[in-house]
Amino acid sequence: MSSSETQVRDADYWSCQMEAVSRRRDRDSFLRIYDHYAPRVRLYLKGIGSPEAVAEELAQEALLRLWQRAALYDPARSNLSTWLFRIARNLHIDRVRHEPCWMELENEPEWPDIDGGFSSAESHAEQADLQNRIELLPTIQARLIRMSYFEARSHQEIADQLGIPLGTVKSSLRRAFMRLQLGVRGQV
Amino acid sequence: MTLRHHLDEATVISFAAGALSPEMSAVAATHVGVCRVCRERLSDAERIGGALLGQQQPTLADEARSARLREAMLKLLDSGPAMEDPPAIGRGPHVLAPTDPDHLPRPLQPYFGRSWRELRWRWVAPGMHMIRAARGSGDTLILLKIAPGKSMPLHSHQGTELTQILQGAYDDALGHFGPGDVADLGDEIEHQPITARGVSCVCVAALDAPLRFPGWLARKLQPMVGL
Ligand SMILES: [Zn+2]
Repeated sequence: MSSSETQVRDADYWSCQMEAVSRRRDRDSFLRIYDHYAPRVRLYLKGIGSPEAVAEELAQEALLRLWQRAALYDPARSNLSTWLFRIARNLHIDRVRHEPCWMELENEPEWPDIDGGFSSAESHAEQADLQNRIELLPTIQARLIRMSYFEARSHQEIADQLGIPLGTVKSSLRRAFMRLQLGVRGQV
Repeated sequence: MTLRHHLDEATVISFAAGALSPEMSAVAATHVGVCRVCRERLSDAERIGGALLGQQQPTLADEARSARLREAMLKLLDSGPAMEDPPAIGRGPHVLAPTDPDHLPRPLQPYFGRSWRELRWRWVAPGMHMIRAARGSGDTLILLKIAPGKSMPLHSHQGTELTQILQGAYDDALGHFGPGDVADLGDEIEHQPITARGVSCVCVAALDAPLRFPGWLARKLQPMVGL
């Protein structure tokens, strides 16, 4: 089985687990999601600057929200890891950075995608394609993407740290985004 | 609203990743609030974040911690409220109820208050008023009001400037900027905006480094502007 097929199967698998939580309040399915994602959410939060204990607390809160709001889950529209990414990021910005009104935490994220108005159906195949595109990014672009998402570094901080011009940081990120966006948008 | 000038994709990535300063985020959120194109890009950038989150590889140390946390989660499932009611349809961060025309965009309210009428503009130069946000992380957030048909001093930047037009319009070498447009400028740009005739141009700008005005005006203006 190719890695891409595994990823499609994975995305399907998590979507089925989530549906079981959503429709039947299936605790076992929830715990499978919890066991897989909670350590990943914790790692992510630590990377962007939550202290260890806070990362634990916020990851618990993110997963608990998933349980409490499961009724809103629409497998045709939303991807589990995207939802978790959003809520973890928002919790971090709200609780750790204490930023005012970054995005309304009360209202977001919810299962029906943020606006409801724009097309955001995210098929499992698209998600798998995106995973592949991330793996295929040129080294420098992959590095800049990771420093942005996993260390929450600003363009200037990245430029200073890697000793490259600010303009190069921006243009590389732009190119990386366009490559990945093709996967997101399902174009070839 | 059909907009001409959008956030740089690199800025959208940083916004989605939570890697912009609070001041830059406030301006980016103000733009995203009125721009469908950037909203879609933001949503794409969040999916990239989701995919990356899924690719994280927990270590053994994390797994050891997991047993204790799992127990705690089971207790929460038993004790917490069973299920939240679905919220009203259409509620979301960007789907705001039609607001009072006197209200500032939501992301700016923590910095400048709620009401346009209650803003306390400070005179800084003929035809130019400003309010500088009190709270700050190190970056600068300002509201600027420039009289119609006015030429701003030629200036360049050391860092990044993110400016969203809230009212009125201006033109510079990069084109025409109207309400809702955002100017996402890097340090290589030197520009001299000229405001359109008719109404004052009001914009909100986040700067990560001091503005540099050349010549006599700089010496006159900079102490007053305090940038
Ligand atoms: Zn835009």
